[in-house]
Amino acid sequence: MTENVEQHELRDRLDLIETMIAEGRRKCESWGWTFVLWGVAYYVAFFWADWTHFAYAWPVTVITAGLITMAGFWRRVDNAPNTTMGRAIAAVWIATGISMFVLFDALGFSGRLTDAQIFFAVAGAMLGTANAACSIMLKWKAEFGCSLVWWAAAVVASFGTANQATGAFLAAIFLCQIVFGTYMMILESRQRRQVASHA
Amino acid sequence: MPELPELNPVIHGKLRLALLSLLVGVEEAEFTWLRAKTGSTDGNLGAQLMKLEEAGYVAVEKKFVQRKPQTLYRITEQGREALTEYVQALKQLLGQAMEV
Repeated sequence: MTENVEQHELRDRLDLIETMIAEGRRKCESWGWTFVLWGVAYYVAFFWADWTHFAYAWPVTVITAGLITMAGFWRRVDNAPNTTMGRAIAAVWIATGISMFVLFDALGFSGRLTDAQIFFAVAGAMLGTANAACSIMLKWKAEFGCSLVWWAAAVVASFGTANQATGAFLAAIFLCQIVFGTYMMILESRQRRQVASHA
Repeated sequence: MPELPELNPVIHGKLRLALLSLLVGVEEAEFTWLRAKTGSTDGNLGAQLMKLEEAGYVAVEKKFVQRKPQTLYRITEQGREALTEYVQALKQLLGQAMEV
């Protein structure tokens, strides 16, 4: 009897350790809304630039989306601690975002971004890289699927016609930003409900 | 018969064990976050954290953020090792109990 009690006590301790480690590592950040926001921003910038030929359509939209993203994270900051994983994922996206902003603005303002297909191919490859890096860190197949879609769009942009390249880019935005972002938001809200029920 | 491992008494307390396990998954954590996760009272939490600090298992940093005091706790290398050893000892004890 005493042995059983002791064994139960030891198991209890082991369960406590596992639960608390999982609780500490639980993803505190919520990223789904940023995917949807940037998906919408890409569409706005794309159609704005296409219809009005306004040279600043992309920079203005990207800066606005960047400010909304920062404001969103600022508003959500609470006393939740940083995890190494959260910092690593943020680093991938911040670095990718800055690289894309600097590269495309530099090419655009220097007048060397004359072929839209090159823009689609490079943007697709960079977004594919960021998604792949995060999916490997998170061991998340769905996000790796997104990177495959972006890389496929990059290949289509390289070999296909202008219409095919545009279609592939817009489809990749829809699938990898809007659909995937919405899916993430659903998962995150489910996770928040689970946390609330355990609290 | 092999000798049974002893469980580290500093870590064995449930709240201290929960605190170390929480801290092992994050870079550093605020007092309020630890209180929310453990559901402990301020007094008890402060006392248990002080024991862990005295043992060298956690490091404390106090600072002001927007004029509000903030106390941050971080697990030390010594604390990480102690938790690893504790888990190994637990598993060993449970393993031997299963064999009996």
